[in-house]
Order: sequence, then C-alpha cells, then structure tokens
Amino acid sequence: MNIIELKHVTKRYDDGFVALHDINLALEPGKFYSLLGPSGSGKTTILRIIAGFTQPTAGEISFNGQDLTQTDAAKRPFNTVFQNYALFPHLNVFENVAFGLRLKQVKAKDVQAAVKAALHLVRLDHYDSREISALSGGQQQRVAIARAIVNQPQVLLLDESLSALDKRLRKEMQFELRAIQKKLGITFVFVTHDQEEALSMSDTIFVLNDGEVQQVGSPVDIYDEPVNDFVARFIGDSNILPGRMLGDFEVEFANRRFKCADAGMGMNEKVEIVLRPEDLTVVVPEQGKLVVRAQTQLFLGDHFEIKAVDTEQHEWLIRATNSVDLNEPLGLSFKPEDIHVMRLNESQAEFDARLEQYEGASEDEK
Amino acid sequence: MKNKRHPGLFAIPYVLWIAFFVILPILLIVWYSFTNTNQHLTLQNYHTFFANGTFLRMSLNSFWYAFLITLATLLISYPAAYFLTKLKKQQFWLLLIILPTWINLLLKAYAFIGILGRQGLVNQFLQLFGLGPVNMLFTNFGFLLVATYIEIPFMILPIYNAIVAIDPALIQASEDLGASKWQTFRFVLWPLSRAGVESGIQAIFIPSLSLFMLTRLIGGNRVITLGTAIEEYFMTTMNWNMGATIGVILIVMMILVMLLTGNKPAHGRRMHHE
Amino acid sequence: MNKHTWLGKIYLWLVLILLYLPIGYLIFYSFSSGRNMNHFKQFTWLHYQTLFQDNRLLAIFLQTILLALLSGLIATAIGTTGAVMIDRLQQKRQQKVFLALNNVLMVSPDVIIGASFLIFFTALGIQLNFGSVLISHVAFSIPIVVLMVLPKLKEMDHTLVDAASDLGASPRQIFSRILIPAMMPGIAAGFFMALTYSLDDFAVTFFVTGNGFTTLSVEIYSRARQGIDLEINALSTIIFLFVLVLVFIYYLLTTRRFKKNGKIGGVIK
Repeated sequence: MNIIELKHVTKRYDDGFVALHDINLALEPGKFYSLLGPSGSGKTTILRIIAGFTQPTAGEISFNGQDLTQTDAAKRPFNTVFQNYALFPHLNVFENVAFGLRLKQVKAKDVQAAVKAALHLVRLDHYDSREISALSGGQQQRVAIARAIVNQPQVLLLDESLSALDKRLRKEMQFELRAIQKKLGITFVFVTHDQEEALSMSDTIFVLNDGEVQQVGSPVDIYDEPVNDFVARFIGDSNILPGRMLGDFEVEFANRRFKCADAGMGMNEKVEIVLRPEDLTVVVPEQGKLVVRAQTQLFLGDHFEIKAVDTEQHEWLIRATNSVDLNEPLGLSFKPEDIHVMRLNESQAEFDARLEQYEGASEDEK
Repeated sequence: MKNKRHPGLFAIPYVLWIAFFVILPILLIVWYSFTNTNQHLTLQNYHTFFANGTFLRMSLNSFWYAFLITLATLLISYPAAYFLTKLKKQQFWLLLIILPTWINLLLKAYAFIGILGRQGLVNQFLQLFGLGPVNMLFTNFGFLLVATYIEIPFMILPIYNAIVAIDPALIQASEDLGASKWQTFRFVLWPLSRAGVESGIQAIFIPSLSLFMLTRLIGGNRVITLGTAIEEYFMTTMNWNMGATIGVILIVMMILVMLLTGNKPAHGRRMHHE
Repeated sequence: MNKHTWLGKIYLWLVLILLYLPIGYLIFYSFSSGRNMNHFKQFTWLHYQTLFQDNRLLAIFLQTILLALLSGLIATAIGTTGAVMIDRLQQKRQQKVFLALNNVLMVSPDVIIGASFLIFFTALGIQLNFGSVLISHVAFSIPIVVLMVLPKLKEMDHTLVDAASDLGASPRQIFSRILIPAMMPGIAAGFFMALTYSLDDFAVTFFVTGNGFTTLSVEIYSRARQGIDLEINALSTIIFLFVLVLVFIYYLLTTRRFKKNGKIGGVIK
C-alpha cells in the first residue's frame, strides 16, 4: 500500500507558467525519498502540494488511498521542516516544539514529556529555555525537526532543509537525518538540489527537471544508469560522448569500437555514451583503450582531477589517485560495464522494459 | 578620520536648538507649574489639581476617551492592515490610505460639521429608515467618531509594516502544525505584529489625550480633555501657571504610556494635531 | 484563499470610502449654490469666485506655503548638521542621549509644544508674529530631518571616507562629495516631512502667533467656529488638488526608490 500518491498532478500559475506537468508519484511507508532537481524544476512545488500550501491545477493527491486534495494543510497528517526553518521568533525552543501539541490541547505533563523526547532525539537536551535567536544554524535546524516530529506525523516533508548550513554541518546532519528516519520508521520526503545529499541519504530518488520526473530509482541505479543526458550531467560528473551501436554489446565512439554491457538497440543507432571520471584508469599509452593528453590538473586532497583532450579534441575528465605529467600522452582504460549507453529520447519506462528484456536474454545465453 | 576628532563648529545651531527648544521649554513649563502669577514658588497649582474633583474627573475622562478612540481605531485598522498585505499593488493602496492625512485636519473636522449636523448626511441616511434625526454634532460621541476617523491611517501604517515583515513561512508553519486560522492569528500573527500595534497605540493615544480643537469644533466647546483644559488656561483664562501644571500632568501620562508600549517613538508622525 | 482576498478587498474599499467621504463631501458642496452642507441646490462656481477675490485668504494661503518652504529649508539644514554630529559622536551612550533629546519634540503633544514655546517667547520678550511662528516651525521640524538623515549615514560604508582621505580629499571635500550624496535621499525625505509638518500644523501656530500673522489652519479654525462657509469648501477642493499633485510627484520619486529597497521611503515608516 502506498502512503502517498500523486496522480496526474499539474500546476499552472496565473501568469501561465507551468511548474508541474502530469506528475505521478507513489511513496511507500517508512522510506526516505528525495526530490532532486535544479531550481525551477518543480521539486518544491511538489512538496508544497503534498503539504497542502499549494493547490494543484489538476490531478489529485491521496493519503493511504483517501483523497486529500481538498484538505487544509492544518488537517493533513504531515509536517514540514521549512527551508529557513520558520521557527517562531517570539517563542523559545520549548514552546516552538510544543506549538502543535498545545494546539491539540495535550495535557501539560504529556507536552513536557513529548518535547523532551523530541529534543533528545535531535540531541538538544538542555536547550528548552533558549531563545531562537541565540541558536546557531545547525541548532535551529534541529529545533525545526523536533517541532515537526513531535506531532508524530506519518510523513515528514523537508524543504531544502540543509541548504543553509555550512558544508561540514550539512554532512553531519545528513547522517543524523537518516538515523532519525530509521528510528522513527516514518516516510521522509526530502527536497534538495544537492545530488550528493540525495545520493547519500535516500532509498529512492526522483530526479526532476522542467516540471517533469526524469528518472526514479535507487541512488545506485540513478548514478550508474542515468536514462538521459540531463540525469547524467546533473548527477555526478560525466564524460558524455556521441556514439553509435554496432550491434548488441558493441559500441563505437571516439572513432573506436568497444565492448559494452548494453543491448536491445537497433544497428547503427545513434546513442550517447557516459563514462564516469572515476571509472577511468590512467595507464601507459600502449595499454590504453584511448590516448589523451592532460591539460590541467587539480589536487583535491584525496584525488587529482585531470582535464585531458583526446585526438578528436573531446575533453575528458579523469579522477586519478596519482598525479600525471601534463602534455604527455596518457592511456585510459575502462571495463565494458563502465560504458553506459543512453538512447536518445528514451523514457524511463522504455528504458526499464529494454533492460528487462536483454538482461533476461543474456541470462538465457549462460 | 581627522575630522572625527572635533565634532566641529557646523553643529552649533543644532546644539543651540536642543538647548533652547528642547530643554529650556521643558524647564520653563515645569517652573511655571510650581509658581503662581507673582512668580512665587508654590505647590498651589498641584494642590488645586488633585484636591479638585473636576480636574481628576476630567483627566479620567480624557484617558477614557483616548482609550476608546485607540480601541476603535485598532479594531478598524488591524483587519485593514492585514488585508493590505495580501494585495498585489500594496504601495498604491498604501498611498490611497495616506493621502487623506495630507489634507489639513481642520478641513476634515469642518466637513464633519456638515456630515453630523441635524440635516447632514448621516441623519439623511437614518431618515431613509424612518429614524432620527439624532443629535451628533457637539456631543461626546461626535468627538469620538471624528477623532477615530482622523487616526485610522496612523494605526494602519505601523501595523501594516509589522505584518508585512513577518516571514510567510511562519504562517505556513503554524498551519502545518495543525493551527486553525484563528489559532494562527492568536499565537503567531498577533504576537509577531504586536510591535506595530504598540507603535500605533503610541501614535494615537497620546495625541488623543490632548486633542483640543476637535473638542472645540465637534465636541461642543466644552472642556472635556486635558488638551482643551491647557488651551483654556493659556488662551482664555490666561492662568499660565495652572495650564503649565496640567501640561506637566499630561507629560507624565505620556511617559507612562510610552513605558507601557515600548520606548521607540512612532516614526513619521510627530504627535501632531493639538 | 480567493474568497478571503475578496472579503479583504471589500473591507478595504469600505475603509477607503470612509476615509474619503468627508473630503468628497466638502468638494461636492463647494459647487452648491446653497448656504449649508445639507442640500445641494444648484451647480455654481460662485464660491470659487468668492475665494479668488478673497485677497485676505489668498494672502494667507501664500504665507502658509512660504512659511512651510522657509521653515523646511532651515530645519533641513540644521537637522542635517545635527545628524552628522550625532553620527560622529564616539560613544554609543552620547549618541543615545542626543537621540533621546532629539525625539522629545517628536513625541510631545502639540499643546505642550505650543504652550511651552509661548512661555519661552514671552520670557525672552520675543514678539508674537511671523518670526515666532517661523522659529517654532523650524524647531518642531528639526527632529524628523535628523531621523530621516541619520540612517543614511549609518548605512553608508565608512571606508568611503577613509578612501577619500587616502586619495587626498580635504574634510570639506569629503563632506561635499561623499557625505552629502550619501545623505541626499534622507535630506530630501526630511525636507518633505518638514514641509508636511509645517503645512499640517495648527496647534503650535495657534499658541505662538500674534495679531499680525496667521496660517491657513488657524484661519480655517476661526472660520469653522463661526459655522459653515462654502468658501472653505472651495478652498478644500483647491488644497485637495494641490495635495494630489504633490503626492503624484512623490509617488513617482519613491516608486523609483522603493524598487530598490522594497518600501516607500520615510513618510510611511
């Protein structure tokens, strides 16, 4: 049973701007979902429609099978952690967290206990009487989470909730959020434009662009098998080259033929090839499948980031553990399964169908 | 940085202004309140004020009227300010609300002599329902009505400024946590716009204590507020010492109100009229 | 939410109608040939003719404007130097004391200002005439100028002053080329506020004026106490048009400004 479903949701603003086109989502209970996309992709609009702050122009949203489209935000069993936390400046930490409980006229003793427990969960045990203005960004973030979860929502919605924190704190909060989600066992819907954040925390990621879902899948699926150019470029760094299928499991790019792991496409079909920079290994030129010359390299602490050019003037991004000599020929090596082939204009459904078909076929061969 | 060391001669007029028009007048009015017409030091004026029931009753009255005016203004202005923040062309609407304040107060008061008269607009309207005519001109009610009318824009503006500064996400957060519209108003909107309400109260309560021309024109020439009493003693009976005493009382009340409503003076409005 | 905004709009319209009703009422009857504001008789320009032949009233009108301009200019000059002085004070405490003194006249009721100035002029033996009124108007307009200019100085990047002196500017050049331009929006707003204070004032003028001089407010007051005079209605129409033009100019000036900072300048805040 899905806890939340969005069916054919469209959002068009008064000025004609279409923020969402026919969005369909199904969320299962107890999972951590991310809505990932650049600004203007519609991710926050989806979150606001789920929360009830925005009404969809068309389509419906249901909760455990019940239609919620006309229900006020106040009556939905979800709570939101806002982008800038939206903590009430006139209330202290305790009263902020207690806000929702007080509205429900929960007994003072129970409020006390629940707030304490929520603050404990976000590791702010002795902060109850602090003023909001006296807290750091990370602490405000935790109060916002405590304020939302103390109401025991079925779903927690997080709107770019980590974006205001500095990098180190953000990393720390990623772990914590994931831990809190595991502990509570409720559904989290996390909106972010930061692919690393989405990859590290989610069970499932929805990649959005221009008001449409581009791809749905586990972080590994999305990283390894981007369905299109947009996803490949948006998630991680990629070397994307034009290529041509020569048949099943054989592809041509950069003027050479390579073995690959993809099949089920037409002969001579034009495709795009994705090679992740970390899948490229630097070897001596004689052993390389390709030969390039490094133009610049940056030392990034745990690796070097190298920009190189091949004989066709394609630019290559390479991640290597050791430094290389600039302007000398370098060999690049990679395995057939590192080559990811994308068909032009293939939708995710088509992609899934093809994958099933040829994976079944290759198993039969064995 | 060199010029920072000596504040310089250029500010002499400003410092003289502070000395002669801020400090000296206060000292003079206090001095007058403690003297009699023969320049002898005396507590007689204060004794008259506090021993005489009329003065105390008038002060109480003055306070009561100021309270009613402020309350009525607040009740009308708060929703108006709130709805203003929901509109698209807010600056234009604001301008429409401020514009009447730039029409001379006396003219607006004069208009009410016509509107509230026995055969004026209000009574003509009442007669449509077979009511009236009601005497409104030269009554306390008429005074309250006109004073409220005059003060409305001065209440709308500070409240508007306070509400417009509230992050809309806070209102959404409140709804998200299950608050009804009323609860959101009660627990979020109202406390967060309180500062605006307070400066509005400050901008209205104190002038309302001292209104004298409205009481003269609309309230029927009777001495019903502290302001009217001061004017009476200075301009008619020429007992400046008693007038100064009432003035000192008024200043004390003013300071009390300011302490109660926070100490920031309401910008953009000298407590004008009277 | 849509129903909400509709209700709100209706409410705001009601408030606006209430606010403009007296003004419209005055203007309406200025064209009536009757003698009161109860029944519109016949359309006439008569009251406007009377008004434009009333040399006394026209003179008072001009005097009032002259007074406003003159007091506004002087108050702006003194207030601006005051703001610069307060800004240069080294200690926060000193700044606070001066600001508190500055604001005394802002929060004092007009009766108090009028009465205390009357005592002051009498004590110093100053004649009550145009001079005493002008001095009073300058006095009660100074604080608002300071309050309008001071934030501009606080907002100003003070390294600009250092940069200018580093480039060899004299204190006088720093004042005219750095400080004045930085303060200009505040100075303009302050002057504008001083004008409106002066034009709007009744009570202070009422106390400190003598036989020889009167302003429009005081004149209207004494006429209104004698009853209805439709010449005043005609005058209201003229003043309303005058204000409309002023407001329109002001709107044009500030819309340019508030595009940048999102708020109508000084007057509203």
